[in-house]
Amino acid sequence: MSLYQLQKLIYHVNRDAAQRERYRQDPAAFAKNYELTEAEAKAALEVDVRTLYTMGVHSLLLRPFTLLHKVSNENYAKALKGLE
Amino acid sequence: MPIIFAAAASHAPGMTAWTEAAPKEQAEDFLANYQQLGVRLAASKPDVIVALTVEHWANFFLNSMPAFCIGRAAHYDGPIEEWLRVPKARVPGDAKLGTELLNACLDGEFDPTFSDELLFDHATFLPLHFLNPGMAVPVVPVILNALTPPMPAPKRCFAFGQFLGKFLDSHTKRIAIIATGGLSHWPGEAKHGKINVPFDKQFLEYLANRDHARLTAYSHEEIHNEAGSGGHEIRTWIALAGAVRGWKAELLSYEPVVPWATGCGLVEFRQ
Repeated sequence: MSLYQLQKLIYHVNRDAAQRERYRQDPAAFAKNYELTEAEAKAALEVDVRTLYTMGVHSLLLRPFTLLHKVSNENYAKALKGLE
Repeated sequence: MPIIFAAAASHAPGMTAWTEAAPKEQAEDFLANYQQLGVRLAASKPDVIVALTVEHWANFFLNSMPAFCIGRAAHYDGPIEEWLRVPKARVPGDAKLGTELLNACLDGEFDPTFSDELLFDHATFLPLHFLNPGMAVPVVPVILNALTPPMPAPKRCFAFGQFLGKFLDSHTKRIAIIATGGLSHWPGEAKHGKINVPFDKQFLEYLANRDHARLTAYSHEEIHNEAGSGGHEIRTWIALAGAVRGWKAELLSYEPVVPWATGCGLVEFRQ
């Protein structure tokens, strides 16, 4: 597990316009800049809300990241159902 | 002049970004109180506002996360959130006071970090939108880590506030001091939308009773379990209680606003 690297990727996409643009152009290539496990890379690239959350991504990194991918409040809540 | 104004306020982004999602009367009452607090702040004619605040990954990441950070920039831009529905602005800073505060800390009992460039997210910008109309008064941000553990303990935040208060009380400038954050909320979490009203009311009661023993006895776990990941922000209120420890806290408003997913509080401290 490399939660730090996973969160770093998300932080860069959320907060740095130039990095966000690079990510948008080729997410898979962008993710290679981070030391991620296969599962982490998959979760990030698929914007798998539930898996990213259970991996421990901070909620205030995760929610802005999912908003960039147009995940609605409803779908976000649905993805986390049962984890309360 | 010493500290001449002190208040604590929540900063739920829904207050401006999705105001109308809240029940009309509840939103109007709370926001009217917020604006009136701003009128009283202006009437106190401060030279500067010291903001005990937090941030949400706007400036800091896990490569370097300060427990306390004092801003000493000439200005601060915000808000970083495009969707906050608050006009972007450049907030004047007070680099001189920031530096003096920092030096006093390093010469005394605390070792905060400092920053000459900070962006304001809604945590600082939303309260200033209501309390500092036109961003007329310069601001010195003092950021407490209430974002990610390990965080400074509430008792440490109280002591830090007490230290800052002592310094500011002997300053020549007229100083308003505000705290921002809380109360209970679980932003972006599976429990998002939950508000722990009994916790919030008890916290407000401790403030009103100047029960500093109880305020400093909160543990990280207790806040986390009872008030949520967002509830950690009450550390700024606890620091403010330390800064104006002889003052009486008056509750202006408490509204558990479900669509804003936050127990929203407004407290003014009076000498």
